[in-house]
Amino acid sequence: MFDLIIEGFSLVLNFHTMLLILGGTLLGLMFGLIPGLSATMAVAICLPITYGMGPVEGFALLIGLYIGGSSGGFIPSVLLNLPGTPSSVATTFDGYPMAQKGLAGRAFGISIITSFWAGLISIIVLVLVAEPLAKFALNFGPFEFFAVALLALTLISSLSEGSLLKALIAALLGLTFAFVGSAPIDAYPRFTFGMNELSAGFNMLPVLIGIFAISEMLKIIENKNKISTPGSQLNIDQAKIKGLGWPLKDFWKQKWNFIRSTIIGLGIGILPGIGGGTANLVAYGTAKKQSKYPEKFGTGIDDGVVASEASNNATIGGDMVPLISLGIPGDTVTAMLLGGLMLHGLQPGPLLIEQNGPIVYSIYAALFIANIFMVILLYLGMRGFVKMLSIEKYYLYPIIIALCVVGAFGVNNRLFDAFALLGFGILGYLMVKTKFPLVPLILGFILGPLLETNLRRGLQLSDGSFMPFVTEPISGLFLLATVLSIVFSVIKERKSRMNKSANIAG
Amino acid sequence: MKKSFKLVAVILVALSMLLAACSSSNEGSTSTSSSSGNSDGGESNYPTKPINIIVPAGAGGDTDRNTRITAEYLAEELDGNLVVSNVNGSGGTVGAQQVLDADPDGYNVLAFHNSTIINSLLELADFGFEDYQLAGSAITDLSNSFIVNADSEFTDLQSLIDAAKEKPGEITIATETGAFTHLQLLAFQNLTDTEFKIVDVGSASEKTTALLGGQIDIIPTQLGLVQEYIESGDFRTLGVMSEERLAGAPDVPTFVEQGVDLKFDKFFYWGFPKDTPQEVVDKFSKALEIVTNNPEFQKEIEPHLLNANYLSPEELFEHFEKTTEEYKALLDAAQ
Repeated sequence: MFDLIIEGFSLVLNFHTMLLILGGTLLGLMFGLIPGLSATMAVAICLPITYGMGPVEGFALLIGLYIGGSSGGFIPSVLLNLPGTPSSVATTFDGYPMAQKGLAGRAFGISIITSFWAGLISIIVLVLVAEPLAKFALNFGPFEFFAVALLALTLISSLSEGSLLKALIAALLGLTFAFVGSAPIDAYPRFTFGMNELSAGFNMLPVLIGIFAISEMLKIIENKNKISTPGSQLNIDQAKIKGLGWPLKDFWKQKWNFIRSTIIGLGIGILPGIGGGTANLVAYGTAKKQSKYPEKFGTGIDDGVVASEASNNATIGGDMVPLISLGIPGDTVTAMLLGGLMLHGLQPGPLLIEQNGPIVYSIYAALFIANIFMVILLYLGMRGFVKMLSIEKYYLYPIIIALCVVGAFGVNNRLFDAFALLGFGILGYLMVKTKFPLVPLILGFILGPLLETNLRRGLQLSDGSFMPFVTEPISGLFLLATVLSIVFSVIKERKSRMNKSANIAG
Repeated sequence: MKKSFKLVAVILVALSMLLAACSSSNEGSTSTSSSSGNSDGGESNYPTKPINIIVPAGAGGDTDRNTRITAEYLAEELDGNLVVSNVNGSGGTVGAQQVLDADPDGYNVLAFHNSTIINSLLELADFGFEDYQLAGSAITDLSNSFIVNADSEFTDLQSLIDAAKEKPGEITIATETGAFTHLQLLAFQNLTDTEFKIVDVGSASEKTTALLGGQIDIIPTQLGLVQEYIESGDFRTLGVMSEERLAGAPDVPTFVEQGVDLKFDKFFYWGFPKDTPQEVVDKFSKALEIVTNNPEFQKEIEPHLLNANYLSPEELFEHFEKTTEEYKALLDAAQ
């Protein structure tokens, strides 16, 4: 294995290939930082360019795009409260308040440092233990996936502020939107109202970007008097970064949070079918739940940014695990990469490493190098990014909205998705106005299909019996955790309410 | 300072326009290009702009793979840009519908396979192959197969049939409801008078995952998609549903040899929306024929156990009609 590592690096360490990784990472970062454009699109657009290259060069470029596209999303999250990608939604929760306090530089520092280390750890895990991990993930069938999704759904309580009732309504709304389109398994059309466009249902990216980014911009437009004072609350000079932007001793304080979030990201990445979009929310929710001061989340504390950014970069290595060791794609980007492997004449599957060791290790090397380029490019560009704030909002927002529309259209090449984006933007705006939390809707929307499909598949396997969901060990364990999670939330809620009334009484 | 902000703004505008320009031709997908033809209008000069190819299935599957390989050669032959886009959803009907609704100007093509027949037979779609202006077929996949885990008790079809008769409805077999493989299962049950527990596990890669994880006993899939797992000793095939043994897998017995008269071919076709100019379709078909006969193309698809087999639009139409009758009979018998 050691000589394979050296061979892999030697294939990549030449001017031409390094340039491809660098270019890929840079372009990927741009796709990441523009709301609506994502790593998937970057890889999809550049895949044909790689036909003319050898597999090593081709994958150097694609990996650069993948790492860059998965990393740039925090920038608009922090500066503008607009998530750049679905996997940086949770970064807005604390990153933006932090920037509002004049600490944008710190938020960047945290994001870059945790992204780098979490990414690095996930790549090392990929190189060292991909096979056993992938084999373990194979134990997850319909029963287990259902239980995991159910556990993730209990995070609703910790991921929303204010009324729990409103949070639950929002979550149900999200579930309902997930039902639109052909039903899983029997493809029976639901809630399509006879419209062909609706039969494919709503896509995750337009829903997410609409709910979070478009609604945020609508909110800004509403305050049109303030629009002419760009960066009003934000002092750009304060956003300057000293050193790495984040003192080492503060990083040390976050070590458990960091490790937990990285593991969550890795785990969710390894499971086929769930990716960064879920990981950042789950990691944030868990961090808040485990925290001694959950009430401070959302006010601009380190913990929130660390959880989100560590988990979403840890999914990179995680997603690659089943791809490399078993030939199974973990999410949409890795499905593109799988197609790329095939088009370069490599047969993905359990023999990939054995038969094409040097190429696989050159992919590993590219991951390492792109991860480093990512950090360098982000630190170099940081000043420029902060300047984005000084662009008059009436220049900036129309452009961003236009790019969002392009991105939504690009997901599945349908104009329908662009309209869906705007529709969900309006819905998100109305929800904010009426004080309904947005995150439960997204959680319901993402987890809905996972719950439904796996419930129905599980029941097909068990001839309609619910028992295996409880008796299968892994699934049973997750269901137990689900019950405990709900019980603890209720107890906590009770306690805080009692404290409150005690305070009032006192 | 102010100047640099404007610069950033200008760059952003430029980028957005660039992307918008890209997306009109290039949405989220592939552009396989050689030098592009650049003369003005008229069908004789076709293509004068990028041809938009819709694959109604996701990246990483066999429809996507076969289309992209063929598109690469077609681009050379047509001397133009071919942009492959994936439009997913509803067993392929969403993408197929999109091509039907597209402008019939010769720049919108569907690349799909015989699931079109099943989609309309099962009434998942209210249109069929006859609604397209067919351009032909270049690839046929004869490697439809039943795959089991290497440590499975089933070594051949006979042992499978015996076991199924002993405990009807207990052996699990994977499917994607409404897909081509579902039909194979129904036909197999009917022909051998057996009953399996048919469980939906999803697409080709999800089937592979389920079999690797031991959640299912048998998966029906293309042998060409799982060769690696057979070679690695994870999987075993119970045979292929072809007339004769495959040249690329001479050790694998056919279903017919084992006494089960089941033959299926998966053919990948190209179709334009109705009213596309005939000259354009002819030119595309001609290019498809040349590609099919190109030894380099044949060599490239051979390892995937695919056959380069050109069907002209007329031959394809007849093949579609014949196959539809067969599938209909199979479905009727199964109900």
